[in-house]
Amino acid sequence: MGEYALLYILFAPFAGALALIFISNRQPLLVRSVAASAALVSLLASLYLFYAYDPVKGGFQFVQKYAWSKQLGISLHLGVDGIGTPLVLASSILLFAGIFVSWHIKDRAKEFYIWLLILAAATIGVFMSLDLFFLYFFYEMSVIPMYLLLGMWGSHTKKYLEMTDSEGLKLRDSVGFILNFGSNSKEYAAMKLVLFLSAFAVAALMGILLIYKFSGLNTFDILVLREQANLMNIPVLGTTLDKIIWVLVFFGFASIAPLWPLHSWSPVGHAAAPAATSMLHAGVLMKLGHFSIIRVAFEILPETTRELMPIAAVLCMFSIVYGGFVAFYAKDTKYVIGYSSSSHMGYVFLGMAALNYISLSGAVIYMFAHAMATGMLFAMAGWVYDQTHTRDIPSLGGLSNKMPFISVCFVVGCMASIGMPGTVNFIAEIMIIVGSWDKYPLQVIVAMLGIVLTLAYLFKMMRGLFYGPMNQKYSHAHDAISAVDRLPLLIMISISIGFGIFPMHLYDVVRSGVDPLVARITRVVPVAQTHEGSGVRSEVIIPGTTSTVPVVASKLLPLPSQVSRGEGE
Amino acid sequence: MTFSLNLSFSDLLLLLPEIFVTCWLCVVLIVDFSFSRVPKERLAYLSVAGLVVTLGCLAWFDMNHVSGTLFGNMFVLDRMAIFFKIVILGATILVILASIEYVNRFTLFRGEYYCLVVMSALGMMFMVSANDLLSVFVSIEFATLGFYVLVSYLRDDLASNEGGLKFFILGVLAAGLLAYGISLVYGETGKLVFSDMASAQPTPGLVIGFLLIFAALGFKVGAVPFHSWIPDTYHGAPTPVTTFLSIAPKAAAFAILLRIFLVALGTFKPLWVVLLVAVSILSMTYANIVAIAQRNIKRLLAYSGIAQVGNVLIGLAAGTKMGNDAILFYLLAYLFANIGAFAVVIAVSQAIGTDEISDYRGLSRRSPFLAFAMLLFLLSLAGVPPLAGFIGKLYIFVAAIKEGLYTLIVVGLVNIVISMYYYLIVVKQMYINEPINPSPIAISGPMKTVIYVGLAGTLVIGIYPQPFTDWVVSATLMFANFIGPSVTVAPPVHSLGG
Repeated sequence: MGEYALLYILFAPFAGALALIFISNRQPLLVRSVAASAALVSLLASLYLFYAYDPVKGGFQFVQKYAWSKQLGISLHLGVDGIGTPLVLASSILLFAGIFVSWHIKDRAKEFYIWLLILAAATIGVFMSLDLFFLYFFYEMSVIPMYLLLGMWGSHTKKYLEMTDSEGLKLRDSVGFILNFGSNSKEYAAMKLVLFLSAFAVAALMGILLIYKFSGLNTFDILVLREQANLMNIPVLGTTLDKIIWVLVFFGFASIAPLWPLHSWSPVGHAAAPAATSMLHAGVLMKLGHFSIIRVAFEILPETTRELMPIAAVLCMFSIVYGGFVAFYAKDTKYVIGYSSSSHMGYVFLGMAALNYISLSGAVIYMFAHAMATGMLFAMAGWVYDQTHTRDIPSLGGLSNKMPFISVCFVVGCMASIGMPGTVNFIAEIMIIVGSWDKYPLQVIVAMLGIVLTLAYLFKMMRGLFYGPMNQKYSHAHDAISAVDRLPLLIMISISIGFGIFPMHLYDVVRSGVDPLVARITRVVPVAQTHEGSGVRSEVIIPGTTSTVPVVASKLLPLPSQVSRGEGE
Repeated sequence: MTFSLNLSFSDLLLLLPEIFVTCWLCVVLIVDFSFSRVPKERLAYLSVAGLVVTLGCLAWFDMNHVSGTLFGNMFVLDRMAIFFKIVILGATILVILASIEYVNRFTLFRGEYYCLVVMSALGMMFMVSANDLLSVFVSIEFATLGFYVLVSYLRDDLASNEGGLKFFILGVLAAGLLAYGISLVYGETGKLVFSDMASAQPTPGLVIGFLLIFAALGFKVGAVPFHSWIPDTYHGAPTPVTTFLSIAPKAAAFAILLRIFLVALGTFKPLWVVLLVAVSILSMTYANIVAIAQRNIKRLLAYSGIAQVGNVLIGLAAGTKMGNDAILFYLLAYLFANIGAFAVVIAVSQAIGTDEISDYRGLSRRSPFLAFAMLLFLLSLAGVPPLAGFIGKLYIFVAAIKEGLYTLIVVGLVNIVISMYYYLIVVKQMYINEPINPSPIAISGPMKTVIYVGLAGTLVIGIYPQPFTDWVVSATLMFANFIGPSVTVAPPVHSLGG
């Protein structure tokens, strides 16, 4: 396989979905095994990718390029750098785990797996796209499966089911319905998600089209655009074009991240979604936002990024605090985890805003770490919901008697989410905090507060679910006993702790992707941070020069370690 | 102006598809009247057979680059005409196949139905080849004549009669406008053939004349503010006729619009861009907002069709070779998605007898195939990757942004989001709501064929558009002569944000 690893990762889920179309729902085991084996192929290939990725060489590796439309200048250009690689791995882990988490789905299982596979494949496609068109293509493609997964297999919130409407259910299809923000139905959540994401996605598309036009290169290829596109200093509407494009791209993609004022679709969507969908949604779908901002705004408009990224630094504080407080007061398990996710995504924005090697690497590692931690929490919230058919925390309690395995896993999930030492989240959090301190001390203090808040609401939820007096109504609930049920949790826990103890390769891979990017943006060479002097070591290529020259570092540097510009071979 | 008819055999070759369809039409009529015992669906297959042969002939033309003009430039067969003829014939074939089951319910005139459909198709084949204003007028009226009858085919149904009457009255009004416009243009320029008018000066009479012609053609494509007949006519007409009406006449009228705007009026581009931008914005925004409130699937698709026309007009407003390619590509994508969606509507209404959106409840349980097909068709119309509609929309936007039509693109993008809402409401009914009556829905063989063709087209064009873009690019090559930067007299009036 080797160089075709990306194609296996991307097309195995698609092939699985295609194969499932021809399998009858009357053979549930066959349906599940086809879905699981498609996910397994993808997982194995991405594990191979992760370990075969050469951090010393850096840049875009495993590049595949196929012409797709000559007239529009589009090619299927795939490749991963140090930022895409861990996210591809996280997506395929969560897909694999998600298929086992939803093993017991009875209703239209085949359709469920088809849409889940397409959703995961589309997110994987974004992480490896080197073409703006395909980045948008896969991004938009991931939205519709979410609609169906939420609508068909999701659940209403408790409040909704108790709601009595004088007009019956007729209002649900009207315009008033979509504007009625008091509604809690799954249809509402699904529609809101699609409309929000589409509305902001078209803003990003406008930005992409402007890049396409004003670069004048007739191509959507990111690697070509970042080298040759000159979008600076074009005066437009009292400002410059690059700022307009940057704002369109940033807010277009930040909505899925979800950055604070654009977040409201996300917790509602989490709450309505079935467990596996929540896992993918919180685990990787949200990261599409950060990743696309890095890939489009950071790569193509580095100077503008340096100028405007403080916007993110301001908004991320609101994300962290607002999400944290709402999660603290929420009564619904999935709302708690959903708001906690949107709060934690604020850390990623903080790491991105500080724009240095440590903080941006921390942000990327945090995306990976958060995917595992939140995946676990959602899987377990889903398990509790399947057993008790309620997500209302006050009515639950004492479940640790009935489900010891789940409650132990839940403790681990909470620890990971808080960022206990020993989990990969700790490494990520500490890097973000250390890296951002010089530039944004206020935000770092807020982030610390956010960690305390995380501790508070997760422990509150843990106590509410698993400890205290038991509600006898749920005495029939049972633990995850079979291997199928335990496998997804064990995978995510072992990855989270494994990378927490042995983070070197992950760190090297991420640094190899982050270093050239930050060098481009700040034009400063990194302080040598690699353990034992190994790791990232390559040259800076200045645009316009053919020879590779070591860049003169800032005066503080005794030993300038060098970074690659990330040329894709 | 003397008119000498000296046709050689090679000239007749250019007319071969039309001649063949005319003869075949007579054959079908004769079989219908002479052998009254013949089951009427045999007539459908007979018509389809003739059209398939014609399609093959056109494909041969396309491959061998057969082209030329006839009758003193009145009739032109270029690659764009061939493209549109293939689209129209393809639509006709699919519509006939989708009608078979529906027509079997008619009590009277079942055979004539197929003849009228083929006759309209013949008229539209002339429309796309029309190269002067007279042949535009004659062919449009010829094509519409069949539709007047077809729309009011359900004689006992008041809605059908109302739709037919509305269509007729407004159609005649449009014909009047067209004739008046043609007379003004002829009076001002003394020319009828499009390519001769390229050097005309924009006198007020000429401008009014072309505005009237545009209004008449706007009626045919159903652009706001000439759309008022569409919802009632689409709603009342027999559903297969609605299908036909929603695709073929629009495609044919766009062929004429392309020729008029890019060949005859190429020099006035700065003037008509404003007009097209306004009409396009109105069409998209109005239709998408009104579509939200629809309760009937045919009316919903009618408004969605108006909005799609607004999208196509973006490409026309771009007024470049690339804009043309995008229009052709978009129409191809629209053809498959729209025929497919209407085919599902026909299949469902055969089974449950209504077209209300609320009766699509739980369709995915009653017929997973129909629901899945409808899902893909609606998403293609909404413009979701990886379906054909997305590539079509992107192609049009790329063509427009190269001309700097930013306002138009922003409106177009916002409208994608609005349209997503009402398409997804149908999806919600099909997939999320539970059926009241869970009995399965049976689908007839020909209907299945139509839906499969629609699905194949929607997916193949969406996933691998290269052959199709190549086709449309080569189909509009002749426009490269007419439009270029040198032709534009005035600098583009649209600056960023304007």
